[in-house]
Amino acid sequence: MIDIRNVSKNYYNLKALDNVSITIPAGEVVGLLGPNGAGKTTLFKLIAGIINPDKGSIRPIHENWPSIGYKSDRLLLPNHLKIHQYLETVAGISNIHRSKIKYLTQQALAKVDLLESANKKIGTCSKGMRQRIGLAQVLIGNPQLLLLDEPSNGLDPEGQQDMLKRIQELHTAGKTIVMSSHQLHEITQACTYLIILNRGQIHYQNSMVNALTISPHALIETERPLVDPMLTTAIYALHPDVKIEGNKIYLQNEAMNLRRDILAMLLRSGYDVIHVEQKHITLAEIYAEAVR
Amino acid sequence: MQRILTLTFYFVKNIFRSLTGIGLVLASLVFWAIFFNPGQKTPDAAYYMLVIGCFGAGMAFFVTLACASRANHAELYPWIIRLPSRVEYMTAVFCSSLIITAVLQLLVAILALFNGPQLTAVHLLEIPPVWASLAILGAVLSLHATDLVVSGWSRVYIFGLLAIVLFAQSIHNTTMRSMVVSLNRVASSQGWTSVNEALADYAIYLNDGDNVNIISRFFGLIFWPFKAIADGIVSGSFTPAQALAPAILLLYATILFMLAADFFASKDLTFTE
Repeated sequence: MIDIRNVSKNYYNLKALDNVSITIPAGEVVGLLGPNGAGKTTLFKLIAGIINPDKGSIRPIHENWPSIGYKSDRLLLPNHLKIHQYLETVAGISNIHRSKIKYLTQQALAKVDLLESANKKIGTCSKGMRQRIGLAQVLIGNPQLLLLDEPSNGLDPEGQQDMLKRIQELHTAGKTIVMSSHQLHEITQACTYLIILNRGQIHYQNSMVNALTISPHALIETERPLVDPMLTTAIYALHPDVKIEGNKIYLQNEAMNLRRDILAMLLRSGYDVIHVEQKHITLAEIYAEAVR
Repeated sequence: MQRILTLTFYFVKNIFRSLTGIGLVLASLVFWAIFFNPGQKTPDAAYYMLVIGCFGAGMAFFVTLACASRANHAELYPWIIRLPSRVEYMTAVFCSSLIITAVLQLLVAILALFNGPQLTAVHLLEIPPVWASLAILGAVLSLHATDLVVSGWSRVYIFGLLAIVLFAQSIHNTTMRSMVVSLNRVASSQGWTSVNEALADYAIYLNDGDNVNIISRFFGLIFWPFKAIADGIVSGSFTPAQALAPAILLLYATILFMLAADFFASKDLTFTE
């Protein structure tokens, strides 16, 4: 949908983004991960056209720019307006025909469960309601690209789950979404594409399926440390991706296929196996590796 | 058009429902009480037209600052990115400030009619172009003073240039001559012969200029429309040349608006949070 090529952005002497290249695929939910100050909000503002890149280009893959709905990371809203007044103004700005403004506003309110609070002043709303108002304004006008900067920031666990559910529904409806979060489980659950930013650079990008299925590994744990040199040498000789640490044997990638042989060798040598675990890499491990 | 109208309506409502709005109405009433005190003798039509015209220009400047400050809030980022062009946003700010100014100007104008001048049909025809052109120019000039539009040093350049032009149109031959003579003395003390001779020639030229002040007349041309409007109003009728003055003010406003649009369209938006 959008192609970002070699984009750099500086704020005076601070490099917010440094030679970043990303393609945002249509219909995907792109998760932006990174520590504070990694450049996530700058990237959102660049895509939204709020700021301009110092270098590089941001272009739509097809001819026309997609319509964009943007929710910033802060819960900034005009507090003096009622919820429905705010959304009706957004609808007016989105060029929705006057006759449809009320209907579409109510539809957006219904989607975020705020229909009954439509007449409430925004200034009196809780954080959770403000997040939902933010999401409702994004939905008005049916934009093709939704930019959600920390959509569940400040929400309680129930509110976070609720927000995730709504994002998943939007994905099912075919929307392209770019969202950021510090909650790894949110990104794992909601996103189909993963980008990890750190110090203004992209340290990792992959589809979520690929990211979480690569580097499978297994762990074999014995009841006592492996001190027999003959045995450890024999195990090491099987594959370079085998690692022994105390009473634990780690097998990575293709070395995983050797787990039966290793188990047989251990049992033959009189070691009791107390734990065998086979798993894929987690997002936490990918993140820790990327931002290290 | 609907987008601009929606934003304009929002800004107008926002100002009038705020403390700033009350302050602006109060300021207008104070202005009326000072300049059109019902207790004093009836002002003539020229006074009425000129004073309220100037009030409109000044008020447009302040109202635009207020509107632009309200438009410069981070809560409105989601709105501005929905517009196909950022200039629509700036246009809405400009339109809202003109609407608010027009309301305040009308308030003062109506109040000033109590025990005020008898306006003829000619006066009523002359008022709209004169007041509108002054208010529009005031509003556009003010856009360049706002954080919303300012880009880098643009505010310094625009108002610096205006200050230089204002200064240049007010200087007289005698002032210029004394400056040139002072420079001539410095050049002479430094031994810069060629500069010294050129300055001396220029001082003689200024001295023999039969009091014709070329510099001030040149820069004075820029401010001619203001003088023409004032002369036209005071004399009671506009000559064909003077009748063009409001149009020239609108031309200035158009140039300044295009410049503001260019700054605003290409700048990094840093709204206050």
